Amino acid sequence: MRNFIICTTLAIFLFACGESEKTGKDLLKEDKKTGKTTKAALTKEVLTDIINSIPLSLEVSFLIMDLNIPYDKKALSSADDVSKFNNNYKQAVNLGIYSTDLGYANIYSQTQDALNYLTGVKMMADGLQIGQHFDFQTIKKLASSKNNIDSLLLVTNKNLEDINKHLQEKGRPDLTILILTGGWIESLHLTCEVTKKKPNPLLKSRIGDQKIILDQLLLLLSFYDDNANIKSLIEQMNRLQKMYENVKITIKTKDVPIKTSGDIIEAGGESESIIEITPKDLENITNVTKEIRNKMAE
Amino acid sequence: MSKEILETLVRLFALLSRQDGGVTQEEYDFVKDYLIAELNEELANEYVKRFRLAVVGFPFKGDKTSKGSTEQTDTDYISELEKYIEKNNKENTYTYIAWDSSQTNVSYHIDYLHKTILPVAEKIAESQFKLSTEKQVQGEIKVTESIKVNREVEKITKAQLDLYQKVLILVRIFELITIGGFSRSRKGVIEAVADYFKLKSEYKDLGAFVLSKSSNQLKYHNPDTGTDEDLKEAGEILVAGAEKSDNELHKSLIFENFQGELIFKYVIVTNDELNKQGGNADETTSAVKKNKLKSEGIFFVKYLGTGENLKRNGFPMRSGVVYQFPAGSTIRSGRGISLYFNEVNEFFMEILKSTKLSFTASNIEYRFPNNAIGVQPMTLSYPQGRLVGIMGGSGAGKTTLMNVLSGIESPYSGNVYINGMDVHNDTDKIDGVVGFIAQDDLLLEDLTVYQNLYYNAKLCLAQLKENEIHDRVIDTLDSLGLEHIKEIKVGNVLNKKISGGQRKRLNIALELIREPAVMFVDEPTSGLSSKDSQNVVDLLKELALRGKLIFVVIHQPSADIYKTFDEMIILDRGGYLAFQGNPIEAIKYFKRETNQADADKEHDNPEEMFKIIEKEVYDDYGRETGKRQFSPIDWNRRFKQKFQIKEVPTVTEQPPSSLHRPNVAKQSVLFTVRDFLSKVSNLQYMLINLLEAPVLAMLLAFIIRFQNEPKTENYVFRYNDNIPAYILICIIISLFMGLTVSAEEIIKDRKIQKREKFLNLSRFAYLSSKISILFMLSAIQTFTFVVIGNAILGIQGELFSYWGILFAVSCFANVLGLNISSTFNSVITIYITIPLLLIPQLILSGIIFRYEKMNHAISEKGKVPLLADIMVSRWAFEAISVDHFMHNKFQKDFQELDAETSRDQFKVKFWIPELKNRVNRSIENREKSDKNDSIKSILKKDLDLVKNEIKIEKAYLNLLKDTDVDKKMTIESFDTPTGDNLNVYLDSLSNKFQNKINDAEKDKEKMPDLIRKQRDKKYNLNKQKDSYFNDGLSGFVRNIDVKDMLIEYKGKLLQQIDPVFLEPKISNNPIDYRTHFMAPKKHFFGKLFDTYWFNTSVIWLFTFVLYLTLYFDTIKGIGTLLEKIFGGIYRMFSALKNKKS
Repeated sequence: MRNFIICTTLAIFLFACGESEKTGKDLLKEDKKTGKTTKAALTKEVLTDIINSIPLSLEVSFLIMDLNIPYDKKALSSADDVSKFNNNYKQAVNLGIYSTDLGYANIYSQTQDALNYLTGVKMMADGLQIGQHFDFQTIKKLASSKNNIDSLLLVTNKNLEDINKHLQEKGRPDLTILILTGGWIESLHLTCEVTKKKPNPLLKSRIGDQKIILDQLLLLLSFYDDNANIKSLIEQMNRLQKMYENVKITIKTKDVPIKTSGDIIEAGGESESIIEITPKDLENITNVTKEIRNKMAE
Repeated sequence: MSKEILETLVRLFALLSRQDGGVTQEEYDFVKDYLIAELNEELANEYVKRFRLAVVGFPFKGDKTSKGSTEQTDTDYISELEKYIEKNNKENTYTYIAWDSSQTNVSYHIDYLHKTILPVAEKIAESQFKLSTEKQVQGEIKVTESIKVNREVEKITKAQLDLYQKVLILVRIFELITIGGFSRSRKGVIEAVADYFKLKSEYKDLGAFVLSKSSNQLKYHNPDTGTDEDLKEAGEILVAGAEKSDNELHKSLIFENFQGELIFKYVIVTNDELNKQGGNADETTSAVKKNKLKSEGIFFVKYLGTGENLKRNGFPMRSGVVYQFPAGSTIRSGRGISLYFNEVNEFFMEILKSTKLSFTASNIEYRFPNNAIGVQPMTLSYPQGRLVGIMGGSGAGKTTLMNVLSGIESPYSGNVYINGMDVHNDTDKIDGVVGFIAQDDLLLEDLTVYQNLYYNAKLCLAQLKENEIHDRVIDTLDSLGLEHIKEIKVGNVLNKKISGGQRKRLNIALELIREPAVMFVDEPTSGLSSKDSQNVVDLLKELALRGKLIFVVIHQPSADIYKTFDEMIILDRGGYLAFQGNPIEAIKYFKRETNQADADKEHDNPEEMFKIIEKEVYDDYGRETGKRQFSPIDWNRRFKQKFQIKEVPTVTEQPPSSLHRPNVAKQSVLFTVRDFLSKVSNLQYMLINLLEAPVLAMLLAFIIRFQNEPKTENYVFRYNDNIPAYILICIIISLFMGLTVSAEEIIKDRKIQKREKFLNLSRFAYLSSKISILFMLSAIQTFTFVVIGNAILGIQGELFSYWGILFAVSCFANVLGLNISSTFNSVITIYITIPLLLIPQLILSGIIFRYEKMNHAISEKGKVPLLADIMVSRWAFEAISVDHFMHNKFQKDFQELDAETSRDQFKVKFWIPELKNRVNRSIENREKSDKNDSIKSILKKDLDLVKNEIKIEKAYLNLLKDTDVDKKMTIESFDTPTGDNLNVYLDSLSNKFQNKINDAEKDKEKMPDLIRKQRDKKYNLNKQKDSYFNDGLSGFVRNIDVKDMLIEYKGKLLQQIDPVFLEPKISNNPIDYRTHFMAPKKHFFGKLFDTYWFNTSVIWLFTFVLYLTLYFDTIKGIGTLLEKIFGGIYRMFSALKNKKS
């Protein structure tokens, strides 16, 4: 009996001693006290416009495949790291990365890899509480057959739209932007890696083209720079922007007379952008992109 | 009589009668008669021949030579005989073959000695023997003569005689003097003998006793001085006769009209004489101790006078002859006077007079629970100082009678009194008076002989100091001849370390050390050799001689043992008293009753008696018919007709109690120390119990630690999916270890406990000792288990939270084990019970089978089934899982945020959509034109549910202030606008929640930075999560595999997912503690408690309740009750069956 009492008191004592550190809740409270003003929010319309102007990563993959460049697994991210991504920021950017990789692997009919990335995507989506917008059963079915690429594109597109819509409704457009940024960086990275191995003018100009997208993304991200992660992302992206400084994009517009065929008027002219990019810049862009992407997948 | 005594006696007779001019006819006849009385004819003649040879100085083989004590060989003896023949055979009357001393064949010399030369030499010697007609008493003794006598005495006296034999020899040679007269030369011989025997101070008293012609002349006549010397110890004389002895110092016993007188001489045989003569100090003290108990006296008796036809043990006593009077002897006269040893003995036992006891069992009857009679009505009564035997065939109720007499069993009618105090009712007053030595072994097998006795002494002799206890223990061991084995472990019957006799003696010592006034001994001699039996009974006899009253159940005693008893209770089948009285008288009585011819002779074989009692009737062919000639009832009636049991006068003084119990605390300590020592000294037990836990932990943890990181094949704690199962196994192992270690504890001690209950030792102290030792062991076991298991699996920082629960569980199992140990009668039953107790713990632990997937008869949605609430495994598992999940070094930073998010998430994703569904369905149903009953009931259900659920979120209810929910949410008044309002409200609610979620998510993202900034610069979220967070456990406590996140139950929506984040609502019923499984907090009496501490308290509460049932032996009580009920039913059925057939 006595021993029991001694043991119990001892146990209580030991437990009591264990709790002296400040827990997360305490830290947050202190943080809130210091107080920070919130920024003006981005309007829905602006956001949607910009988002729509950003190309789908799948397009790049198609482009690469059309150039008969072989599948390069090494350029892709590792699908094993899913459990490392423990906050919304990481989950969002990596959801973007995995989606890009999923598309790329899928186009090359690398079914096993595609399934791995699909799992990654699902995990990330679940983490962001948007799992319900991914029709995984369908994607899985489509991914296992090469003939369904169009449908796959359609489904993916549809999913992304849903996600955007949902996240905006939820009041988390920042996550949409992060998903986009992740996807964009991964496809830029992919393009750069391919170009490094097998230089191709088309891909080169494609890379240069991204200067505009980068500016737009940075604009979007700047709305959320109160988030430490986003802030550091912006800093990295700014470095990339610096590398792009020397890239010149001149847009030539060919004057074409207005054609009329019946009731239909074909308006506008064809515009062509000429990209000037030095090998040195290309190398720098490749490196910085890789850095940013690796940082994201850390 | 032993050869040594005879040899010595015959030679001393020869030496003595040779004095003063040779042997007379009278002396020769005395020697001859004495030897014939003691021996058979052939042997007697042999010794008479030796006497004759000794008288003429024949050299005997083996005589000590003056040269020294070198052993005489055959060849030496032959040459000595040759010399003797040469000297005495001068006329060559006898011829014989000469000896060839060169022969090397040993058998030749032996043959030659015995067949050739010895007969010749003896014939020569015999021819020289002559009886003298007259004594020539010498006046003066020459010095040379006396030296010669001394040498002669030394030569012929065998050294190995014990004191008793020496006294006997002295008495006999004094008797020879009564024939030949006491001269100086004879005195010289006697003195030399007494001197050599170291009995110098006693021999004069002995001489006076042997030589006196009447009690008035009890004086030692010194032939040297011619004066009479008074007795040194006149108090050692008892004179029985018609008148009181003249000498005041003599003890007297009056028999009216007794012719002549009987004189008893009591000789105390101690080694005092020996001690005075030297030897080193140590030997002396130990010898004194040894004889404290053994200072037994011997009695000699002689009858002086004529006219009484006296018989001692059935043989006639001659006047003037000294007889021995050993224990159990009787002297009877032809006129019916009888004198028992015990009566004589009482005169000399001082202690007998100082303690006064009256033990009376008046008209006791005992019935078994089934109403069968165990002891038929009988009355028994004894004073102090008796050794009472209880005998009877098997089933005669010997042990039952003893249990009733000792107070263990209460009689059906009648009472047992010790000094007027009721043994069964005045238990306080006779506390410690009675001692009980059961037939069972009461020793702690892992303790040494000394320790067994020591702790026993500590528990009943609290008044003694430490060193006194030690002395007492050593004394007791000494007196029982156990001192030399005191450091040996007792061992058990199979693994024998000490002999059966030693065990028995040690068992007796347990009571003996306390020296209770009344002792009961059950079959002390069963399974012992005849020598050991005799020793044990002698020991009991000694105690009786010191004033104790001792009852002994004895089975088939030898004649010697039988005679040792003072009183004998003979029981016959069915508990009838067949005889009570003197043991020798018993046999005579039964012989007389059956008209046997030798009835009046002395008999000492108890077996004959039982043959008579159980004699069967023969049929015409002389075969036994199986029917007894005299039934137990007949014998009982006959006995009652012939004898009247006299009750001894009631002594009114308080009987001496020898029990001084230490207080409960000291008892607890003693029990604990004793138990601890006993366990520690059992190496096997210790090894198994201390290694069991670490070995199991190692095995378990090693097996379930798998290479779970796909890339590196390393082990990361976070990905070990086995953790929930590991927690369960920890609990089961703790339960199992706790049960097995305790299950045998009490049953093992049951016999010892019975005895200790007799001593009224505290059950609380006993249980406390058991519990503290077991708890200590449990603490060590569970601690080593957790340390090793958690270390291998990489569970960090949870050591004490795991241990706290596992220790509590193990303690619970300890007390549970003690309960079953004290409930069941056999070890087998106990081990069969263990799975019965453990398997439900597994089934209802909540991990193997989910509570929501259990039979609805026992389960209930949203709450842990009551049946599971009585399982300690469920509380333990929940406590460890919840605590490990919530408070690990990773999760503790996120716990509140996660909990908030989880709650809001649930509302947004499941609860609000569900409510909106219901609202919309209600709008639809309401608008239906033909509302049948089923639609109405759905509508009502939906409305009620929505109404109830909406009220739960009180914080936002003001948003709905425009709508009176109570009024509008009825079938009658519900309308579309209300529905729309509700939908709007729910949407805004959803927005509010979503905003909260977003804030929380952002906070979570900020967290690692905050921590790095303010608490730990090296904080790495992923590393922290890998080392402290476990996915498997998280999945389990968050119930992520559940299909329906939300279910409807009894008009409420129940959240199924994330139970660990769902704080229960405080119930209106204060004693309601029930919540869903894995709740982070528990409510009780309007307060919320942390699950870990709440569950820990529940486990300790269980343990405490089990302790109470153990203390009051409740489970056993219930068991006996059930047994009775079932027994009754069974009997009823069998009775019915019999009737039918």
